[in-house]
Amino acid sequence: MDNFEPEIVAFCCHYCGYTAADMAGTRRISYPSNVKIIRVPCTGKVDAIHLMKALEKGADGVYIAACLEGDCHFKDGNLRAVAHVEKIKKTLEDLGWEPERVAMMNFSAAMGQQFAQAAEEFTEKIKALGPSPASQATSKAV
Amino acid sequence: MITAEQKPLQEILGYIAPYEKILVVGCNECVTVCAAGGRKEVGLLSSAIRLNSAKAGKKIEVLEHTLERQCDPEYVDQLAELAGQVDAVVSLACGCGIQTVASQYPIPVFPGVNTKFMGASESQGIWAERCMGCGDCMLGITGGICPIARCSKSIMNGPCGGSVNGKCEISPDVDCAWQLIWDRLVELGLQDRYEELVAAKDWRPAGGGGPRKIIREDLASSKIITEDNA
Amino acid sequence: MQKIKQDEKRVLVIGGGVGGIKAALDLSESRKKVLLIDSDYAIGGLMTQLDRTFPTNNCDLCTVSPHLSAASREKFLEVSTMTELTSLSGEAGNFTATLKTAPRFIDIDKCTACGECLKKFPEAVRFNPGLDPRAPTCMRYPQATPYAYSIDMEKVDDVEALKAVCKAGAIIPDDTEQETQINVASVVLSVGAEMFDPSVLDNYGGGKFDNVLPGLEYERIMSASGPFQGNLVRKSDQQRPKKVAWIQCVGSRGINVDDVPYCSSVCCMYALKEAIVTKERFGDDIETTIFYMDMRTSGKDYEQYFNRAKEDFGIRLIRCKPHTVIELPDKSLEITYAREELSAMEKEEFDMVVLSTGFRPSQKTIDLAGAIGIDLNEHNFAKSGTIDPVTTSKDGVYVCGVFESPKDIPETMVQASAAASLAGMTLDSEEWVNEPVSLYPPQRDVDGEAPKIGFFVVDCDGEIDQALDIDKILENAKTNPDVAVAEAFKLSCSFEAMEKIEGLIKEHNLNRVVIGSGSPRIQESMFQDMLRRAGLNPYLLELVNLRDQNAWVHNDAPAKSLEKAFRLVQMGISGVRKAKPLTENMLPTSQNALVVGGGVTGMTSALELADQGTLTYLVEKAPVLGGQALNLSQTIEGDDVAAFVKGLVDKVSAHENIKVFTDAVVAEHTGVPGKFTTGIKTGADSACEQIDHGVTILATGAKPNRPAVYGLGELDNVMTQLDLDAVLENDESKIKAMEQVVMIQCAGSREADNPNCSRICCQAAVKNALRLLEVNPDIEVFVLYRDMRTYGFWEDYYKTARDKGVKFIRFDLEHRPVVREEAGKTIVRAHDFILGQDIEIEADCVALSTGFVADADTNNELCSLFHLPKTEDGFFLEDHVKLKPVDMALHGFFLAGTAHSPKVIRESITQAHAVAGRARTMLANKEITLGAAYATVDPVMCAVCLICVRACPYDVPFINNERHSEIDPAKCRGCGICAAECPAKAIQLRAWEDDQIIAKIDGLFERYN
Repeated sequence: MDNFEPEIVAFCCHYCGYTAADMAGTRRISYPSNVKIIRVPCTGKVDAIHLMKALEKGADGVYIAACLEGDCHFKDGNLRAVAHVEKIKKTLEDLGWEPERVAMMNFSAAMGQQFAQAAEEFTEKIKALGPSPASQATSKAV
Repeated sequence: MITAEQKPLQEILGYIAPYEKILVVGCNECVTVCAAGGRKEVGLLSSAIRLNSAKAGKKIEVLEHTLERQCDPEYVDQLAELAGQVDAVVSLACGCGIQTVASQYPIPVFPGVNTKFMGASESQGIWAERCMGCGDCMLGITGGICPIARCSKSIMNGPCGGSVNGKCEISPDVDCAWQLIWDRLVELGLQDRYEELVAAKDWRPAGGGGPRKIIREDLASSKIITEDNA
Repeated sequence: MQKIKQDEKRVLVIGGGVGGIKAALDLSESRKKVLLIDSDYAIGGLMTQLDRTFPTNNCDLCTVSPHLSAASREKFLEVSTMTELTSLSGEAGNFTATLKTAPRFIDIDKCTACGECLKKFPEAVRFNPGLDPRAPTCMRYPQATPYAYSIDMEKVDDVEALKAVCKAGAIIPDDTEQETQINVASVVLSVGAEMFDPSVLDNYGGGKFDNVLPGLEYERIMSASGPFQGNLVRKSDQQRPKKVAWIQCVGSRGINVDDVPYCSSVCCMYALKEAIVTKERFGDDIETTIFYMDMRTSGKDYEQYFNRAKEDFGIRLIRCKPHTVIELPDKSLEITYAREELSAMEKEEFDMVVLSTGFRPSQKTIDLAGAIGIDLNEHNFAKSGTIDPVTTSKDGVYVCGVFESPKDIPETMVQASAAASLAGMTLDSEEWVNEPVSLYPPQRDVDGEAPKIGFFVVDCDGEIDQALDIDKILENAKTNPDVAVAEAFKLSCSFEAMEKIEGLIKEHNLNRVVIGSGSPRIQESMFQDMLRRAGLNPYLLELVNLRDQNAWVHNDAPAKSLEKAFRLVQMGISGVRKAKPLTENMLPTSQNALVVGGGVTGMTSALELADQGTLTYLVEKAPVLGGQALNLSQTIEGDDVAAFVKGLVDKVSAHENIKVFTDAVVAEHTGVPGKFTTGIKTGADSACEQIDHGVTILATGAKPNRPAVYGLGELDNVMTQLDLDAVLENDESKIKAMEQVVMIQCAGSREADNPNCSRICCQAAVKNALRLLEVNPDIEVFVLYRDMRTYGFWEDYYKTARDKGVKFIRFDLEHRPVVREEAGKTIVRAHDFILGQDIEIEADCVALSTGFVADADTNNELCSLFHLPKTEDGFFLEDHVKLKPVDMALHGFFLAGTAHSPKVIRESITQAHAVAGRARTMLANKEITLGAAYATVDPVMCAVCLICVRACPYDVPFINNERHSEIDPAKCRGCGICAAECPAKAIQLRAWEDDQIIAKIDGLFERYN
């Protein structure tokens, strides 16, 4: 699986995560194209079901990029997102999947550099884990 | 409210392993309120089953549905069409709901949750046991705090010697129910009640007399039903 | 080349820092024309250099930006950078301002900030993306922060080569200085001040030792975008320090040649903030020590911030201004200091020393004041009104922020709104027109139609095209059966491209649009406007961020980048299929105002609104207007309070637009923001009079505290400062008979049961001490204090009091003074830390500085009636403590005066102006939009579980009489937390519904499924 290119979905909040991603763009800091971003108003809006759906449909890794803790524009949405991620990690563990396929990250709007670096590291991590069972199953189906 | 908690995933997956088409059924009552078996949990469990099937390299189809209430036959009737399409059902209702579904369809019905206790919500995400359904409520003489459900030994004239600083000897996190009762009686100025010995409890209404049933003659009378229908 | 519009009369705001921005936004929100100028090449000011700001320890500047559409922003607000005022002639209401704009050598309209010029000519090109380091992301306000470079032409050796590098053709080599004359109704000065440069001092090593740095530089090091990417390291060896010390009042509160006597008001809080953030991020690895003279945490809830610093973060505090800092051979620093209670000097080693430096007016500011013709005070700050601090010595010229006096961000925001409000009074609001109706055609009903999608790539000067093959992206999109049109516009997101797309939408009867362009954060409102113009609902739109999140970040892998573009477009197409037309909640606003509280604050607000034609209801609980000011004779500056209050009462009572209710309370309340109905009950048992109002101002004040401490209420000679004020005013003979007076500070404040500082008491004690000495120069005055908090220029009065012989003796909670009566004498026993022993003072009068406490009964009633939040100590809680200090979380409610927190009259009056201005921003628009993204509940699916009720951060959902959860669209903020938490999946957040999100996931993986 040397040329394995993982599919990664990042749910980013409008105020910080998504803005940090834009900031990486503004500064032309590159990160792997494997990462595809879905914008949400607040990471507290990301239902645990959405994380599961992304994995079900074929994502090899999913993460949530929220505001720094204490900086959520809706008080505590990002802390709820942590809880959702932890819950899904536990589910994956129970299923015998690698819980590392789901992750929580926090950025301030200015942290473009860190956003790109985290995207790179996460992609590398998922590459090392290999394709998820669901994405393997779906690619076989093609 | 009846409280429940999702079963370990592996146990559920074990039940359904032989089947290829599964229906996961939620209930929009107690188990939704205690976040164990509502639409959201149905969605999450169904996703988990699909992820598992991907890992097992097996194609499983999972249908999702949530009923208003699983412990009433009329609501469970609504499953007829879906039940006809699947090999097995996982119910996320309490034991009452699971049995109602099982009684109405000739396919295996598996529990997706463990039904726990009758409890009250302490705050978001925390439920605590408050009632054991003993069938002979004594809250009237214990200051509104139930020694059956909340004393580890369910004793009638407490506390026992295991009450230390208001906590039960089984765990420092568990309040001694009799301490609570005493404090409450003091608050109400009803300490005298405490001095009165309570006679040994008759456990027959609690289930000691076999499976229990309530029959409300006024509602259940076949005469009324017939008249209505007529 | 910048061209400033000349055809209209405007308010001129000078200074593009946070105060100037706020003033300009308030004015434009009130539909008043405003020009904001700044001498720098981008706006933002000092705040943008800070890592985080207290008391919230974050930035949040984005929350300042108004929800104006680009069109209306352009209509009212113009920004001109690199521009200075050279002269101002004429008079209030009709000034002529001469402005000078320096050449930027770049056409802002053409510059795309692509960065090519910076790459090739790094020496000559300045790029400060608006709010370095956060903008343009944080300040969602592209016009306001020219997103463009500027050139230092003197450093360019080859102009032709520079021109060739710029693909946008934005370089203007022959750009010249422009002079413009404009007609100005009024001026707001928000020019701030510089930070003191500590290198002129010879004892602390600032500018000399590597590891001694001013606070601002420490913030840059802590900042993620700073020189060390947020790693806290010493400059000398790039190692993380283990011990950091802060030295307060560097250059401030001093008498040496380079010192200024005043207090800069913000340094105590910023040092605490820096220490807290250091602790938060590096925990126990770093020891933090603050050397201070008095800890001046007198802002709202700041005392609790101070307590957290001590108790939760273990920040070490040493009361002493150190003598010297010397550098050791390993570049560590040795601080020599003396503790108050010990006679010997101590030496201690630190790895880093931060000098807390304060504000100094710059020479440029002093010159500007000269050009405008306003007076400065003895410290070279603007000489402002003693009772009305945003006024200057010149009619029509207003001042706000640090140029008025040293202050923090919340106070700057308040003054900015106040100055904007007063400055705007001479200029009429532009006539309100129903913009959606007048500007846009009716929206086409697309209900029931199969998706017919238009996909358009809107590029900006090749930003996308350079990295991605747009033709292939179009081709790929066209394979989708729902896509009826796919076209690219490669020139720019110009009006021309917009018009063409509008034409295509109409021609093909499209009912959904996907745009591939830049970030939706910046461009969404622009394309939504485009849809409106084309007769489509603006929510039938999905933006695909092909530029910022694709073209710009995958330069190294073009093939993969193109593949990603296909997938992102597919995601947009899949998502837009599920989009629904949504209506924004628009509400016509009632044009009346309700002001609750008839004290100085309430009366000032009412007058200002009424003068602008707003029918204002003023409700006062007491039988007469005036409030607490009736109990006060004069301010520290010497103003006659009684005469001032009488003047206000007369004006209010006579005003045709003010209806006064005295001996009255608000009793009933219904409605939504912009349209409230409130019942007012007058007297004991009369019925309620119902009034309609669009805005509500809470100016209910606070209560003078009378705690049972130090013998108050028991001993005859023990009184409060207010009681003493009455004696001073009415019974001078009594004062003349006194020999010794003792004042005890913090009586009932900064204690466990009332942890906050009452803010007013230190200046009240100094004021009354000086008044006592004036009446009776032989009197001995002792002030027993914990920290003297004479912030800003009150430090001058504190110094005068010391010079005149007032004795200030410190105490702490372990050594509280004791007051007793013995043989008919009142004796105060106190501990003198310097002598190290107790002393006893016989007092003819003991004056307790008792401050204010929240009026708990009134506030509780109003909070439950209006559904408003309170602070822990019972004051009203504002929407954002830092950036929206007078707005309340509930739209349409504003807060001013001591109902907000304890403050002196001039600060209350400032807030009174500010709320009047904020209220105008709502009233001027006649209608308010409540947005489209709010949560809705499906009553059938709702399990009435209360999870949403408990999860909502704003307590909006409730269980209604129909037995299901209900969410008031007017109160919902649109976070979607309830929707995610709902166990029955009965809640959906409009515009972000679950099926839309899942459709995007489906689209992303469509090639598989």
